[in-house]
Parts: sequence; C-alpha cells; structure tokens
Amino acid sequence: MAASVRFCFSKAMELRWATTKTAKNIPNKPARVGLSIPVYLSTNPSHVNPGSLRDLFVSCNRSCHAFPRIGPDGRVEEGDIAGVDKLRVALDHSSVVVSVFCEPRDLPVDGDGIEEQRASSVGDLMRRVVPPAVTPYSGQLVGFGRAVSDNGLTASIYDVMVVPPLQRMGIGRMIVQRIVRILTGKDIYDIAALCSDDDRLFFEACGFGDDILGSTTMMYTRAITGSSTDGSGGFRRVGRKLLLVPTFKEFHSQSRIRNS
Amino acid sequence: MPSRYLLAVAAPSSLFPALSFDSHGQLSNQTLFPRGSGQGFVRASRNLKVYRLKANFWDTIRSGFLKNNTTQIVDPPPTLEEGEEAQKLPEEFVLIERTLPDGATEEILFSSGGDVDVYDLQSLCDKVGWPRRPLSKLAAALKNSYMVATLHAIQKSPGSSDGNEQKKLIGMARATSDHAFNATIWDVLVDPSYQGQGLGKALVENLIRALLQRDIGNISLFADSKVVEFYQNLGFEADPEGIKGMFWYPKY
Repeated sequence: MAASVRFCFSKAMELRWATTKTAKNIPNKPARVGLSIPVYLSTNPSHVNPGSLRDLFVSCNRSCHAFPRIGPDGRVEEGDIAGVDKLRVALDHSSVVVSVFCEPRDLPVDGDGIEEQRASSVGDLMRRVVPPAVTPYSGQLVGFGRAVSDNGLTASIYDVMVVPPLQRMGIGRMIVQRIVRILTGKDIYDIAALCSDDDRLFFEACGFGDDILGSTTMMYTRAITGSSTDGSGGFRRVGRKLLLVPTFKEFHSQSRIRNS
Repeated sequence: MPSRYLLAVAAPSSLFPALSFDSHGQLSNQTLFPRGSGQGFVRASRNLKVYRLKANFWDTIRSGFLKNNTTQIVDPPPTLEEGEEAQKLPEEFVLIERTLPDGATEEILFSSGGDVDVYDLQSLCDKVGWPRRPLSKLAAALKNSYMVATLHAIQKSPGSSDGNEQKKLIGMARATSDHAFNATIWDVLVDPSYQGQGLGKALVENLIRALLQRDIGNISLFADSKVVEFYQNLGFEADPEGIKGMFWYPKY
C-alpha cells in the first residue's frame, strides 16, 4: 500500500533541478553562485494543502485580491490574504494547478538567500545523485501557479509565485511553461495573464506579450465614494476597494418577472 | 418521492427504532424517543438533532404512506446573505415589453440559465462580424463558463395565442471564474439591429451583480479599442494601477 502511494506521487511529482544563473545581477540582491537544488513539480491539485498555500501567499507577500490593503511596512494586510476555505474553492475550480515542493533542508535559511555549496559529505553526494522522493506531506510548498479556463477557447493564469529565497532560479518560468503546455495540450491557445508592473518582465521572459489584437485590459473598479447616492444595490469589500454592486433597475419600458 | 429521501429511509435500522403508526397514520412519538435503556436515550438525543436539521424528513415519510396526501415537500429556502436586502436575481425575467408597428408584441427576455443553442450563437457572432470559431470549442466554452447570460427576443403575432411565438437569440455575455476571487468576462455581443437600447449594459451589469454577490471581486475583461468607453461607463477602468493583461505567444 505504501509502495503504491509512493508510486502515485512519483508519477505526479517530477524532479527538476533549479539552479542559479550566473548572468546579470539585480541591484539589490547579491549574486548567488552555484546553488543547485532539487525541486519537485506536481500538476495534481490535491497535492496543494490550502493552509500551505496561504503561507506561501504570506511569504511571497501576495494577495488574492487585485487591490489589496498594504500596510506601512509594504506587506499585504492579513485580512486580504484569502482564507483557507476560499482557497480550496479556487483550487477546485482551476483547470490547471501547478505546485513546486522542495525538501525543507534545501531551503536557504539566510534572508537574502546567499548560500555556498555545502561541504560535500558522502551523504550529500548521494542526495545529489539520487534525490529522495519528496511527497506533498514531507516537502515544503515553495512555488505555485494556476489557470482558470473554459476548457474550450480561453484561459487566464493567476497567482504565480515562488518563495523569495528561491526566486531567480527558473522555478517560476518552469511553472508558467508547464501551465502553458497543459493548456495547449487541450488545444487552448488564447492564454492571458493579469500582471502588475513588477511581473511584466517575468512574463515577458516566459514568452508573453501585449495582445496581438490590441485589446485594452480593464477591471471593474467602480467603488463607493463618500458622496455616492446609489448604494441601494449594496457593495462588496474587495481588498481595499468597496465595489458598488449594480442595482437591479426597472427598464425604461415596463418589465415584469416571467413565471415559467 | 424524490430519490434522496429514499436514501434517508434506507438508513441502518439501529438509528431508527421500529416505527408505529396510530390510526390516523401519524407517527407515534413514543417509539421515536425510547426511555429506559441508556443507549436508546443517547441515540434519541442524537436523532433529535438530525430531526431538527431535516424538519421535513418525517413529512416525506408521512406523505409517502398516506394516500391522497396533498402535503407538498418543499426544500428549505436558501439562506439569504446577512445584512443587505437580498435583491436576488431571478434566473429569467423580461427586460422590455413593447408593441411593434405591425401590432405584434415583442419581449426581450434576459436569462442566466445558460441555455444557448450553439448554432444560434454562431450566426449571432457572424452578424456582429466576429471570426468564426470551431463549434465544438464554442460549446465546451459555454458549458464550462461560470455564467452565461443571454437575451432573446420573443415576438408574438397580433391576435394569436401562445402557440405562435418566435424566439430569437439577440445577445449574450459570459464569464469564466474560479468561483472564489477572479472572473473574466468574454464574448459580450448584441445583435446590431437591437443595439443602442441599453441591452449590452443590462447584460454586463447583471453579470457583475451576480459575481459580486458571490464575493468574486476581481472582474476583468479585454476590450477592443472601440468599446473601451462603453465599459468605462459601466465602471471599468483601463490598466488600473498598472495591471495589464499579457498574452502568450507561441514560439516556432
């Protein structure tokens, strides 16, 4: 029984090596040299524990809301990182869910991620040649990405993130490429990703660009202001905005409820 | 009797003590809550909770046994959201009702039931000049959308009874969503001969309403340059706070 469970996991979790690149330095991040760790990629949504996912949101300082409240320290406010139940709902209704795990001991401990190649013992060498199987229960969730699709024409990618110590090692790109591959495998080529200014370079590096058809991205932001009179339809708090719910208006001609 | 109540009846006999009926076919309370035996008492209190949850359970049992019973089994009403008045949107309602020059009446019917004929949709897309898309993909997209809102025009010739109706698809809008945070509105279209009456606005507003009522707050869409102003009037903002949509480019 244990063997078959491991088999299921090893089928769904693929070993990949994440390595630092010696290429360009980012001004504020010191360069890391020669760091290479095994990570495990899974496309099975049930491998993602909503609690771990929430922790990942916190580590990556991201929110499920497009306009979260941000505190003076620059961190997303606790209340705007979604609850575990809602995360489970979102996972259940995402067409593609990609998660990346690593062994907790491989996670760089230093805040700024500087890590030198550890002095190799035989044990370490063996681990590099045959990395032990990591399960969703033993591994640490370090990367995530998902897509929502109508499984026919279009898809949207959301919430791609990697823990800061392991960023710039190709994990994010691995996640996006896997999502795209799964979608194109289902014959969906119209793949969109909503991204902020900070994410643009990342998605460009993943092969995304401005819309060929020249469409304008728009989001519903009509909110209640102090002087607003039409709040009769109600409003909804979404992040830092109080979005106005359009009222159910009587049409200019008569309208009636049809009994069917 | 609905099948799910049948499942409840087939519960293990240990949970439900032997039932006895008095002459009127009413269940006797004596056997429901047996006294004396300690185990029975515990079981009874647990059962009591169950009965409270499904108050109509015994109604269904009773209605099944009594002949000519007119008890109607009604599902418990869906819990309304706390606080605000629940302006719950009926699934189908008439937006406009008018009389045409030739005396016929026309109703514009809004529906969020998602009942769309793919061929009707295809010809509507042709009318607005959109490129053709494979029908099977279109059907799959409709089926897997979170919500599909449609507008149909129903024309009744003058002086005829209900039998002579013409129902035509004249508008549609759909949204995909993860049911929790994000939604994207796709494919908003209205028949050119019905444009300019606020129908497109009604379609989109009702989608937004339905989404926000379920706390789905990130509502996005990708607008052609010609309709950016239309969506701005509905409360949408272009590239809000620098959020842009990027699209995947296949590499050869």
